[in-house]
Amino acid sequence: MTATLTDRYVTATVTRLPEARRADIERELRASIADAVDRRVDAGEDATAAEYAVLRDLGDPARLAAGYADSPQHLIGPAYFLDYTRLLKTLAAIVLPAVAGAVALAQVLGGAKVGTIIGTSISSVITTAMHLFFWVTIGFVAIERGGVRNPLTGQDWTPDALPDGTAPSRRARFGELIATTALSVVFVVALLISPYASPVRDAAGDPVGPLDPWLWDTGAVYAFAALVLIGLVTRYLRFYLRWQLSRALVILLVDLAGAAALIAAGATSHLLNPAFAEALGWAPVAVEWTHRGMMIAGVIVAITSLVEAYTDYRRRGVTAA
Amino acid sequence: MSGDELLSNHLQELRRGTVVLACLLILRQPNYGYALLEDLDRNGFAVDANTLYPLLRRLEKQGLLVSDWNTDEARPRKFYRTSPEGDAMAGALTRDWDSLDQAFRALKGQQS
Repeated sequence: MTATLTDRYVTATVTRLPEARRADIERELRASIADAVDRRVDAGEDATAAEYAVLRDLGDPARLAAGYADSPQHLIGPAYFLDYTRLLKTLAAIVLPAVAGAVALAQVLGGAKVGTIIGTSISSVITTAMHLFFWVTIGFVAIERGGVRNPLTGQDWTPDALPDGTAPSRRARFGELIATTALSVVFVVALLISPYASPVRDAAGDPVGPLDPWLWDTGAVYAFAALVLIGLVTRYLRFYLRWQLSRALVILLVDLAGAAALIAAGATSHLLNPAFAEALGWAPVAVEWTHRGMMIAGVIVAITSLVEAYTDYRRRGVTAA
Repeated sequence: MSGDELLSNHLQELRRGTVVLACLLILRQPNYGYALLEDLDRNGFAVDANTLYPLLRRLEKQGLLVSDWNTDEARPRKFYRTSPEGDAMAGALTRDWDSLDQAFRALKGQQS
């Protein structure tokens, strides 16, 4: 026996619903359809035509199922939609050309052919664009679903939360966020390709990276790149979510971990590649000072993070409390 | 957007909550989906089946309606009726409807 139109309609509806609710809704839906068909048949209509008309009136099963579903029927709702599209556009406009430029530069330095340079640049731009779209979307979906308070409906919003004019405007902070993103991406890309794209060559003509191979042997360079990227994610959390003590502490910890890694690598002289310094004819004192410079940079990062966390706490923590 | 479409959009907005109130009032007498649809229609509340059936489930989940399966007849039917909470809700909504109605009348009285 072939499935009737009603069977097909009911199946199309309930397969879109959670398993637990299917049986009950199916039973009720079948009764409702049968009642409506009976009414038309009683009025003198042909049974097949009646069934067809009833199902047409009920409309698209997808719409009916959406009515039964309790969860939101969108990925990113009006509360975050503008932020979402603005971030995507801005990141695409900055990160994609940066990636294209960095990849092309690395290829040129590596002495690749023109065709290869163009091909690799295009494919890396496409890959980056997909990642950008995917991760930004996932991030906003998480904010949307994660029970994070919705700023548009935030019930405990008071006028006190308005920017007071002394704090940097949202626009300025957004610019800062995008600049940080561009810098971090360029930094991580440069970090990771440095052993292959270095203009300095050894006797055999192979590139000599400026950074200590120890970092690659131990995997420390990947940990460091990950820290930079996690730090970047925390910048976004800070921008889009309201201040919260627990979150602020995690963000501070990530920042301090990055600073500590920089200081530790400098202190143990594991940053500069000895072969690189030798190829350039640097004096040992220059190598030493480069490492000290890195340690100083780490200390500056740590201090900036602490100051930033403290001013955030004063500005938002106090009004949020 | 044509004028007809605009009108139907605004009418839909205006009527959205009224179906809930009508259901809570009618279902003080237990009834099942299709019969309720006809009842609403007869009483001047035009509502689509694909809006009403999911709505009944939502109101049940909110505790404003309760339901029972009646399997006495050949075709088992899910009967809904208004719960005490639903009755209280209907009272509050009716009062709001009345005050809106008065407000509209006052508004029109001022203008004429």
